[in-house]
Amino acid sequence: MNKYLGNKAAIAVFVLPALLLYSLIVFWPLVQTVYRSLFDWDGVNTASFIGLDNYKELLDDDLFWTSLKNGAIFAALIAVFQIGLGTLLALAISDAKVKGRKWLRISFFMPVVLSVTVVCQLWLSIYNAEYGLLNKLFELLGLSYRQDWLSDPGVAIFAIAFVNAWQFMGYHFALLFAGVKSIPEQFVEAAKIDGASKWRSHWLITLPLLKETYRFCLVFAVTGGLSAFAQMFIMSSGGPGTSTYTLTYLMYRSAFRINEFGYGSASAVVLVLECLIATLVINRLVARERIIY
Amino acid sequence: MIKQTAALLSVALLGLSTAACGSNNNSESQPSASGASPSASEPASESASASASASAEPVKLRIYAQYADDDTKLPYDYAVAELKKEMPNVELELEIQAQDDGQKLKTYAATGNLPDIFQAGLDIINTFKESGNILQLDEYSDKYGFTDAVLPSAMNTLKTDDGHVYAFPYAGNEMILLYYNKELFEQNGVKVPTTFEEWQQAVETFKKNDIIPLALFAKEKWPDVALYDIFASRYDEAGITKLDKGLAKASDEAYKTAAEQLAALVKAGLLQKGATSMNYDQASALFFEGKAAMFLNGQWDIEASTNALGDKVDWMYYPGTDASNYESSKLVFSGGGGPGGYAVNPKSKNVEVAAEVAAFISRKYAEFKYTERGTPIVATKVDKEIVKAYPPMMEKLAQAIPNMKTTAFAWGLSNPKFKAAIEDASQGLMAGTTAEQFVKEVDKAIGQ
Repeated sequence: MNKYLGNKAAIAVFVLPALLLYSLIVFWPLVQTVYRSLFDWDGVNTASFIGLDNYKELLDDDLFWTSLKNGAIFAALIAVFQIGLGTLLALAISDAKVKGRKWLRISFFMPVVLSVTVVCQLWLSIYNAEYGLLNKLFELLGLSYRQDWLSDPGVAIFAIAFVNAWQFMGYHFALLFAGVKSIPEQFVEAAKIDGASKWRSHWLITLPLLKETYRFCLVFAVTGGLSAFAQMFIMSSGGPGTSTYTLTYLMYRSAFRINEFGYGSASAVVLVLECLIATLVINRLVARERIIY
Repeated sequence: MIKQTAALLSVALLGLSTAACGSNNNSESQPSASGASPSASEPASESASASASASAEPVKLRIYAQYADDDTKLPYDYAVAELKKEMPNVELELEIQAQDDGQKLKTYAATGNLPDIFQAGLDIINTFKESGNILQLDEYSDKYGFTDAVLPSAMNTLKTDDGHVYAFPYAGNEMILLYYNKELFEQNGVKVPTTFEEWQQAVETFKKNDIIPLALFAKEKWPDVALYDIFASRYDEAGITKLDKGLAKASDEAYKTAAEQLAALVKAGLLQKGATSMNYDQASALFFEGKAAMFLNGQWDIEASTNALGDKVDWMYYPGTDASNYESSKLVFSGGGGPGGYAVNPKSKNVEVAAEVAAFISRKYAEFKYTERGTPIVATKVDKEIVKAYPPMMEKLAQAIPNMKTTAFAWGLSNPKFKAAIEDASQGLMAGTTAEQFVKEVDKAIGQ
């Protein structure tokens, strides 16, 4: 092993392709984005250097704060729903007594493989205030409760976040299910011998041992939520008004609708920093020690 | 051995990546270099008769144009077929225009890969003018008789504010119509409104009878702006164009009152539930199926509305603040046109031919729309007979057109920041936000 690690050329050969790709596709555009955020630039004509003015303007922009708030709501909602429900379903499916486990496993994962556009169109119909399934369901149940799901500025962001939560719950379920399956059976058996109930052994053994998976899931859910774009783009175009803007949508609006690439880049930089901080905080607070069986 | 192999692979990999970067640089710089030289060095006399020179050798031109539905496909196909007769040596390679706020085109311009001919609106013209990516067509417009062919009423679609031609227009000044279902109005005993007060009463009656007063595809933000503009243009005939140019503020009495009037009507139940998440298909279906009494769209919807509702459908003049305002502002329509159409890449290898082709297909495009698509609203004069008779609604409109004044569509606004702000704020109004919020958001963007 040391022989190979001592061979710098071999290390270079193995690392270089990935490093080159990463640098070209991720790192270089990121550097460009930071650089461009310091300019007043419409994307085509000559840019003029304005230092940190774009960032100052961002802090004064109501849309920026709306976007930031919406990103936080989106991230929180999908993290709670996807990880919470994913855990419950993973624990249920890992129980040998549950019938049709294979079928359920596939069904939970199915929305993940559908295209975002298809899922958004589906939920657009479900949310339709005139003839949508959801309002009809309330009608069938004899309830007078109705919602203008996507046209009510106070409700729309939750309705849209739920679509993402629903679609990608299966992804987190799969990760958590794999995590549950990797826990050695003797731990649970020992608890059973000691007289622990099923839920108690899950609470004291399974869930603590899933910490690393949770960390992973949390990073995915939170960064995915903060950078949400597709659902609002397809379902509400950021509306009604500006009520479902996120930082990514703000970036899109600035760069592509009002020709302010510099300003758009500044919001992209803030988004990257936000995701970076969230990842660092999660890594620091959740599962700091590696679990080895 | 491993060392040697590793070193060899590293060199090969570096070599490959360098080669890749090198070829990229070349491909980026080549079009502009090779594209700029012919047009710059080509003597004007050599290309004085483009048709003559064009007929001598085959020319292939890249064209970036709308080609999405019958309204864009059929006129384009007709124009290309006519071009084949007139200039058989010219071959057009079509690239379908993406609905992406001009991003693909701007990327092409930034990378020196712009097509020879492209469709440009005011936003593209303004951006490309600065960067030298759009050819000034004054000379060609005169040379190919395009300037003379433009209808006097559509001259605003030919020249920009600086007095120059950058694109050959085909569309005239289009406008927003308030369509209504005559049968539903009669059945419910509702008079076609002529004032805001009557409009409010009509809304209340329809709501009471479980009929949607007005179907609006408010997910697309421009119809929201158009609805606001209908109100604003009753108080100031310049409508939203004055705000766009920074000549007025949304907090000015006229514009603020317009927002308040609209907000009140929305609150009374003017629109269908979930309007801001409905697209054209969903909203128009409500009108075509007789579930909505009114519908807002451009005059281009006359054909579809007539097909769906026959003689039950008509359009109304916009209601006014009162009876006298209704009469005085009757011919002020929301909508309008602006400079735009087929433009030419100044770095094209065949600038002369491209300019001639652009002028030719613009005229043929208009010709088809006039003769076959039932619309008199084109930019250029057409000598041919109408093949497809105008529907009655279009006949009625044709009588109003000569004395008509128009404002602007959202997409024709010149200040992109204001455009985005008024689009968002108008959609907010449709979802029930207050007029004060609308005024605040729009005023913030004016003059920026």
